[in-house]
Parts: sequence; C-alpha cells; structure tokens
Amino acid sequence: MTDDKDVLRDVWFGRIPTCFMLYQDEITEREAEPYYLLLPRISYLTLVTDKVKKHFQKVMRQEDVTEIWFEYEGTPLKWHFPIGLLFDLHASNTALPWNITVHFKNFPEKDLLHCPSKDVIEAHFMACVKEADALKHKSQVINEMQKKDHKQLWMGLQNDKFDQFWAINRKLMEYPPEDSGFRYIPFRIYQVTTERPFIQKLFRPVAANGQLNTLGDLLKEVCPAAITPEDGEKKNQVMVHGIEPMLETPVQWLSEHMSYPDNFLHISIIPQPTD
Amino acid sequence: GVAEPAPPPAGSPVIEEPPEDTKKKIDVLLKAVGDTPIMKNKKWTVERTRTIQGLVDFIKKFLKLVASEQLFIYVNQSFAPSPDQEVGTLYECFGSDGKLVLHYCKSQAWG
Repeated sequence: MTDDKDVLRDVWFGRIPTCFMLYQDEITEREAEPYYLLLPRISYLTLVTDKVKKHFQKVMRQEDVTEIWFEYEGTPLKWHFPIGLLFDLHASNTALPWNITVHFKNFPEKDLLHCPSKDVIEAHFMACVKEADALKHKSQVINEMQKKDHKQLWMGLQNDKFDQFWAINRKLMEYPPEDSGFRYIPFRIYQVTTERPFIQKLFRPVAANGQLNTLGDLLKEVCPAAITPEDGEKKNQVMVHGIEPMLETPVQWLSEHMSYPDNFLHISIIPQPTD
Repeated sequence: GVAEPAPPPAGSPVIEEPPEDTKKKIDVLLKAVGDTPIMKNKKWTVERTRTIQGLVDFIKKFLKLVASEQLFIYVNQSFAPSPDQEVGTLYECFGSDGKLVLHYCKSQAWG
C-alpha cells in the first residue's frame, strides 16, 4: 500500500537537530565553538559523528584526546542504542536543539561500551539483526542470505541508502502465507525510571483466537504499569520514533513498518509532559 | 560469585551454599566451539542480571585465558549478544528445557 511504504521512508529519514558542545573541563588551546548537526534517528552516534570529533579535535592537543563519548544532562549516552531511541527516552519533551556534551576524557567504563572502530558498530548492528530474525523466523531468513546481503544491510545504513537497505530488509519482513505474521515480535521497552536496561520477552503477533495482538495487548502483558487505567489520568507516553502510536495498532504492523534498521521495535515509556 | 555450579543430582552429599540474595537465577549450559578449551563443569546457575561481559570474564578466569584474549559468546549458534545484555532476558527469549545454552569460542564462529 502506498501509505504504508511512506511510513518506511518517514522512519528512515527522521532527523534530530542537535547541538554538540565540548565539556567545559576538557583542555583546549582556544575556545571550542558548538557544532550543529542533524542526526539520523535510525543510526548510531559513533557512526555519524566523525565531523563532530574532527571539529573539537582542532582546538585540542593530540595527547588530550582519547576515545570520544557523549553525555546528555549528566547521563552518558550509549552509542549502541539507536539515536532516535536515546532522544525519545531522554529528551523528547525538551526544547530543540538537543544539547549533547562531548567528552574526550574519563571514559565511563561502567556505563558505556567502547567503540574503537566502525567494525564494532557493524558487528553490533548485525548481531541485533540476527537476534531479531531468530525471534521472527527462527533465523531461517537471515541464514539463507549470503554474506553480501548482510553487507548490503550495513552499507545501506552506513551510507543512508534507503533503497539499498530495503532491497534486502524486505525479505526479513516477510512471513509464510499460511501464518498471519512473524513467530515472535522483536521488541524492547525502555524506561528511565527503572533499574533494568529494557524489557524483552517472547510475544506473538497473533492471539490464540486468531486476532492480531495490538500495542495495548503487548503493554498489558509485559509492562502493565504503562497503561492508563480506565478512569485514571494518563501518566505516561508510549513512544516510537517520536510519536505515540495508537494502542489499537497491531504489533505485526508496527514490527513491519516502525522497526529500526536492526529490525527491533525500540519503545520508550516516558512521563507524560505536564504542560 | 558470578556463577555457581548447578545443584548436584539427588543422593549425592549436600554442598553448603553461601547465603543467596533474593534475585532469581537461571541455568546456563556452556558449550565450547572448535578448539576452544572445554570447561570441566558445563552447567552453571547464574543470576538473571548477570551480563554477557560478566560471564565472559568468568569463563576466561576459569579457563585461565589471558585478559587480552578474545572470547565470543553465541546464542542459538546464530548471534553474539551485546556485552551488556542480561542472561535473564536471553533465557526468557531463547531458553529451552529450563536452561540457556551458550556456545563460547576464542575466534568468531558465526559472525
């Protein structure tokens, strides 16, 4: 359907206006100007910030530069989470641009994984794609693909090539005609307020009676606290790619149209803004 | 500790365990790939919140591998979970017959 394909493009081309500023305690030879960049929601921080690194390294001494890392209001930003997820989770109800602080010292070992090269990002991305397919198709589709197809997924993401990416990814979104959807839906639910990193469980897109399970059904099952009670006040927003999908939306549709390139639905539960 | 050996079969002498905290634990079965050394004890009971990195460090110590040596962990012989992934979540999604089977290898086995 034309409309549904448009959703794929809207998701792919989503951008977040961001202002990068150097941490005040970094040693510089002259004042560091902020650096402005439109970040792709579907990508990863360390994949799209080479220019940011170059910009700030120009005002620093070589010996003061170790691995770059990013922080928002005191929270280290995990580069291995998609950018759109980080924004929705931490800053979606604040004024734009998103103000990110850049660090080159005191890497927070307990909070962040190291990212020594692009290969590490590729390995992480492909591992997520494989995990998603293990849930959707018992890994049958991803395993049937050749190495060059896997590479094409990564190159499509790295080079922001929608058609190149979806030529392969569409196969990961198919399912046998006799079924109504995937075996299980790859999803992760994040909340800043809880200790655990995210909720991920087995969840079928179709109920025992043949009805399509909805986003509301998913939340009821794995995160009931996120649902507003019948006559209660709405305390949370359930956000994917910066919007709140209707709770009646079938999760199969969400999985096919609003997953990130890693084939996971990354869902943020955030406090309802009070204004 | 990171992991405890799985309980001994019935009939054998009871081993005194240190006081457990209230976190639930899951059973993990570790399988060696290729010419990676095989662990004498393959079955372990691990806290749900233990990360893959924590498990890697534990296996390396147990096998007396050097810290700089790499160790890869695979689920379903198909994907390598992120180092910060919790074993409890992996067990929920990929466990079978009451345990999570993990393959470990000194080199990349399944990409």
